[in-house]
Amino acid sequence: MSAHSQVHVPSWPGVIASLALVAVALGIVARARLRISRELVIAAVRAGVQLVAVGALLLAIFEYAGLPGAFAWAAVMVVIAGQVAGRRGSGVPRSRVAATAGLAAGGGTTLLALVLLGVIPAQARVVVPVAGMIIGGSMQAAGLALRRVRDAVTSGRAAIEARLSLGLTAREAFAPHTRDALHTALLPVVDSTKVVGLITLPGAMTGLILGGVDPLTAIRYQIVVMYMLLAAAAVSAYVTTRLAEAALFDEAHRLRC
Amino acid sequence: MGRSRVVTFVLEAVGVRHGDAVILDDISVALRSGRCTAIAGPSGAGKSTLLRLLNRMLEPTSGRVLLDGTPLPALDVPALRRRVGLVAQQPTLLTDTVLDDLRVGRPDLTEDEARSLLAETGLPPAFAERPTAGLSGGEAQRVCLARTLALRPEVLLLDEPTSALDHASAEAIEQVVKDLRAAGGTAVLVSHDTAQARRLADDVLVLHAGRLAEHGPPEQIAYLRPVSS
Repeated sequence: MSAHSQVHVPSWPGVIASLALVAVALGIVARARLRISRELVIAAVRAGVQLVAVGALLLAIFEYAGLPGAFAWAAVMVVIAGQVAGRRGSGVPRSRVAATAGLAAGGGTTLLALVLLGVIPAQARVVVPVAGMIIGGSMQAAGLALRRVRDAVTSGRAAIEARLSLGLTAREAFAPHTRDALHTALLPVVDSTKVVGLITLPGAMTGLILGGVDPLTAIRYQIVVMYMLLAAAAVSAYVTTRLAEAALFDEAHRLRC
Repeated sequence: MGRSRVVTFVLEAVGVRHGDAVILDDISVALRSGRCTAIAGPSGAGKSTLLRLLNRMLEPTSGRVLLDGTPLPALDVPALRRRVGLVAQQPTLLTDTVLDDLRVGRPDLTEDEARSLLAETGLPPAFAERPTAGLSGGEAQRVCLARTLALRPEVLLLDEPTSALDHASAEAIEQVVKDLRAAGGTAVLVSHDTAQARRLADDVLVLHAGRLAEHGPPEQIAYLRPVSS
């Protein structure tokens, strides 16, 4: 077995055959009178259509747009993920801008480091899925950080104002909340790094093993993935939190909202 | 504490609006140094808003506030807030122990200084080691007052400091204001308690619906007169 052995993936007839499994689920749903048959059919069709569309888009990027196209796609992912994570901080001024900038910083530095260190080749077919993993992980971290920042303003207002009244700067007065937001943001990625392989067989490694790569080779990829997720989450959460904090206070060291 | 200047704060045609609501309207007044000024009036009259203008926790929408002749926006904000210490109505403790709380604004505070600050507010010296969890409201408010006194402010701002406290705590806090006044310090006190204003103040401002209704020594203020039967 080696990375050069034949890649085993289902053929199109195989994919059609797997529809039998949707039928099994439908059968159970119908028998239990769950009234979600329609939703289940829509979900199954939607998954197929969505993935075909994404596959075609990725193929087009790999074939025609090359590396610039891959980075452009990564930028689109950052913008979409920034909206999603930013919504977690609704109530914090400019939270979507903070999240988008945080993800751009975290995703950009991590991706660039991987390419410049020669860990991954600068090819579109590598950059796009790696960027996806990085931005997905960072989105969770930035979203959690913003949620905690928002909670700090609602439930910690009296404490923040007490610190400001004692002559602390906005940054000093918010420091305990900044630490708390970063801590909360990084716990999931630290935990999943701890138990990787024991509790879950993560995506990159699973994909490579399914594709016929030998497990000891596949884990090399997964190790890199875990390390890059740590860095991306840390940078994204840090930049997002700092920007959110800056937007929370005016120049006279007062809460804006 | 207590630099010998005649005037501390001057408010010039100060107004505060919140959307369409007028919180303070055209207030012009001087708060004199070396005195205790009480801000009295019914709730919702704008008393706390006026107090928060003095350490720039709030900005006037019109007019300006000067400290010793300098408009507040020209002063460094954290430095201003150390000169003008505010004690809020609700005590909020910030750390795990009383000593750590006293050090929030004064990281260099020694344990001896902490003990003497606690004594000023009528708390025993051993209180410094107490965890902040489980303090009564009165104890917490006295720690908050000591925490502000740790800054050695030139002006002490107190927002209804005794409104929800037991008698002993309220008395201890009033004693701090009296001691401060005796030492020539400056205090501005928001109080809806007319008897307290009479006991502590040299000067009284009465606010009514955001406007300055009365200003003068307590014996001349109609709002403070007990309702005669």
